[in-house]
Formats: sequence, structure tokens, C-alpha cells
Amino acid sequence: MRRLGIYLFSILFLSVSLKADSFTFSFFQNVTDNIFQNRYSARDKLSHLGFYTDKDFSKISVFTEGSYSYLFENPSLGYYLQDVGLDYLHPVSDKAAFYFSLIGQGVFYRSDYADFNSLSINFLAAFKAYLSQTSILKSNYSLDYRSFRYSLFDFVSHGLSISFDKYFQTRTTMKSEINWGLKCFLHPYSSQEVILVEESGGHHSGRRSYLFVPRTQVEGQNIQILSFTGLIAQGIGSNVGFNISGMKQWYLSGENPFTSVEEFYMVENPSYDRFAWAGYQLGAQITLLIPWNIELKIGYTMANKEFPGIESMNLEEEPLGVTREDRRKTFETRLEKNFPRFSIFLSYVYVDNNSNDPFFDWQGNFFSAGIEWNMFFGGKK
Amino acid sequence: MKKGLSLFIMVYLLGFWSFSSDQEPQKPLHFYNVDTEKKIKGTIQEIIMEPRYKDSSPFLIIRLEEKRTHQRFIVEISPVRFFTHDFHKGEELEVVGSLYSKEGSQNIIARQMRFRGEIIILRDKHGFPAWRGGGMKLKKRRKGKRF
Repeated sequence: MRRLGIYLFSILFLSVSLKADSFTFSFFQNVTDNIFQNRYSARDKLSHLGFYTDKDFSKISVFTEGSYSYLFENPSLGYYLQDVGLDYLHPVSDKAAFYFSLIGQGVFYRSDYADFNSLSINFLAAFKAYLSQTSILKSNYSLDYRSFRYSLFDFVSHGLSISFDKYFQTRTTMKSEINWGLKCFLHPYSSQEVILVEESGGHHSGRRSYLFVPRTQVEGQNIQILSFTGLIAQGIGSNVGFNISGMKQWYLSGENPFTSVEEFYMVENPSYDRFAWAGYQLGAQITLLIPWNIELKIGYTMANKEFPGIESMNLEEEPLGVTREDRRKTFETRLEKNFPRFSIFLSYVYVDNNSNDPFFDWQGNFFSAGIEWNMFFGGKK
Repeated sequence: MKKGLSLFIMVYLLGFWSFSSDQEPQKPLHFYNVDTEKKIKGTIQEIIMEPRYKDSSPFLIIRLEEKRTHQRFIVEISPVRFFTHDFHKGEELEVVGSLYSKEGSQNIIARQMRFRGEIIILRDKHGFPAWRGGGMKLKKRRKGKRF
């Protein structure tokens, strides 16, 4: 902790001395009654302290951000994350531009979860064009390479998306988007391998062990997905916005290499990402400006996700012979007030997850409050 | 963990140090003047990406027609790469900003906007840009997903 404080102080000092344009501090406090998102409902409080600083050089911007997350009941899951990157925008006309970014990231967990430690590189190339004054075409390509301390998680992924939207005089915007993704695990699964996890909060409060299924003796494994998203947004006066959206995702090839897929609240888990599931989700959200210019967002989402390659198990971890399928309902509400120099927010999320794997049949309440404070070192241009 | 953190600090330092020297100051066309602030509610007529300051990233510019008077304004929003909302012709927008005249047209450097039920803060009350201080949710935008 002391070492971390020295690092943070160094970064702040150097940001000023090296003429950074800005410095942002953020602090978020989260409380949940189900940190591991399973039927055994482990409570925890998570504090998140972060900083961000950047510097513009002509058309290129260099930036870095770091954050430390501390869990009060499960301190072994605490982690430090650091990003360093640059981005560049290249206009091709007054109606179209390319955007490029290159980001390096490191995530470092406490010793018990050190298998999750990773270094990654992300490259993004995006294109945006006004086809007319009422319709926008967007396209982007992303490349991710990630290397974990436990090398069987290592992967490289590619993503390609194209979206198109159209605004109508009825103040309605319609948007459609198609996404393709390919995730290549870089190491073969030559035998059943297990990451042994020391349970610190009782047998059922933590995670299941990861078992790697022996898919092939010599090759890595690829997962290929395709998704389609549609959205309709409606403006009602200048203070109300409403939208409904739907998404359907298919597996084109491959399946999950793990025997279990888990999500943790606010903590990334390498067994779960957008490649882990096929299915659909439907959502609706209303945005209101209430007195004192406070933004209120209320949303509801229902999702039906199947996890190809993942077999449901009973509570004794014996296979049930069916692919895991979750039906999830999420209600969320958020209040946010933005000031010129800082922002504050409060949010509440309730999740009801019904699964044919009883371990993942759960409900959870998630509360968050946060503040973000900006310091500016540059000129008023 | 110690090695990894040290590596990031070194990369961070090298990046900032190498770019920090010999930078010529940019020459802005106009400063934000709080004495000429004005609030306008209008309809978007055109959206363009246009260089506004020497050697800097292009800005998002809106041509806005005021509802009440039908007078037209050119509204300077922010550098394109920092702005994640998508505007369309015909949408309503309320802008608070600093007004100045140039070559017969009325220009506004936007400080705050009201759009689709959201308040978007672009500058503080003195005119300092929020996009340079993280107030525009830099974390999401830097990854470019919403560009």
C-alpha cells in the first residue's frame, strides 16, 4: 500500500513537472450483497481510486490512467490497473474522419488471484462519415493481444463492426449495427489443467475451479461470433430521451474452452467476455433531466444467454448433461450531476439471474456512489 | 507486480518527456469571453468537422438556426475526437456559449449544451475546456468505441 502511494504521488508530481494538460482524480465506492455473482451471495464493499492525465501534441494525444481497487471482505481480489496510450484523428473531409488509438494495459492482482495478472495491447482504427446530414456511417476494427500470468488464458482477438443510423423528422433515430469477432486462444489444451484456488471466505462463497477441456492435442482454439444490434431512440421535448434496443449474437465456430464461466462484480474475470455467450438481449432506457439539471437514467434489460461448451453442473459439481443457459433481468437507475470541475453520481442495480446451473441461480443488489474531480494545467483556448 | 508497475511508470515518463519539449504554443483564433455569453435554443442545420486552431485536431462545428428569430449561428463544440454524441440535422439543441462575430457571421464557442435529456458540459464558467480535464468521460472515449 505504501509502495502504491509512492507511485501515485510520483505520477502526480511528474504530471505537473512534465507539463501535462490535465489531471483527473476519481473515487468510487461500491457495495454489493453478491460480489461473486452466484447463489451463495457473498457481501463486499469495493473502493476504487483512479487518476487520469493527458497531454496533447498537435494532432496526437498521449494519456495514461491508473486505478486501484480494494475489496474489504476479499482483499486478495484487489488489483491495480494501468493504461498508457496515444490517439490520433485524421480528417478526410469535413464530413468524414479516421480515428486511431494504441493502448498498453497492465492489470496486477494480489497474490491469490495472480493468475489473472495480464499485460495487453489494444489497437483501434475507426471511421465515421456523415452520409447525409441525417445519417451516419461508422466502422471500426479492433485488435487485442493479452498475455496472462497463467498462459492458458492468453489470446489475440479481432473485432469488426459497421453501424448506420438515420434521424427522422418525428425526432426518432433508428440505428443498426453488425459485429464480427474472432478470439484465438494462443495455447493448446493438451490435458486437463486446473487452477487451484484457495477459498478464503468459505467453500461456496468464491469461484469454481477452472478446468480446461482437452479439445485438441496440437492447436489452439478459436471462437468466432456474429451479432446484430438494432436501436430506436425517441426525443420527447428537450428534457426527455427514450430508447429501446435489441441484440442477437450467434456462434459461428468454436466454443468456450473452460468448464465454467464466471463474472465478478467490478472485477474482470478472464473466463467471461463478449465471446463467452450466444443469445439475445432486449433493453429500454429513459433519460430525464430533473430539477437542478440532474440527469436521471432508468433502464431495464432482459437477456437470454447460452454458453457453448459449458455444461451445467449440480451443486456437487457433477455434470447435468445440458449446456448452461442464463435468463437475466436487470433493473438499473442512476443519478448524475455534472459540474464544470467535478461530477458526482449515485446508482443502483438489481439483477435476477435464472440459470439451469444452480450455482449461477442468483439475485444481487449493487449500489455505487462516486466523484470525479478535474484539474487543468493548460490555457483557455 | 513491482516490475510491471515500474515498466509502466518508465513508459509513461518516456512518453511525456519526449513530447514535452520544443512544442510551439498554439495560436487560438478566439478566447472564451464570459462577458458575451448567450443562450440559444435552435435546430441543427449542418454538422461539419473543421480545423479551428493551428496544428490541432479538427473541431466539431454545428450550424444552428435559432427557433425564435430564425437567426443562424456557427457553434464550436470541441475537438471531434473528444465528442461522443451523434448530432443530426433537424435535432433540437440548446447552447450556452460565448458569442463573437467574424466575417459577418455569428459564432458561438459552446460552454454547455442541453441535448436529448442530457446536459453536456464542454467548458467551465471561465471557458476552460472540459475535454482537457476528463470531464467528458475520457475513459470511454479514449478507447474509441463511441467515436
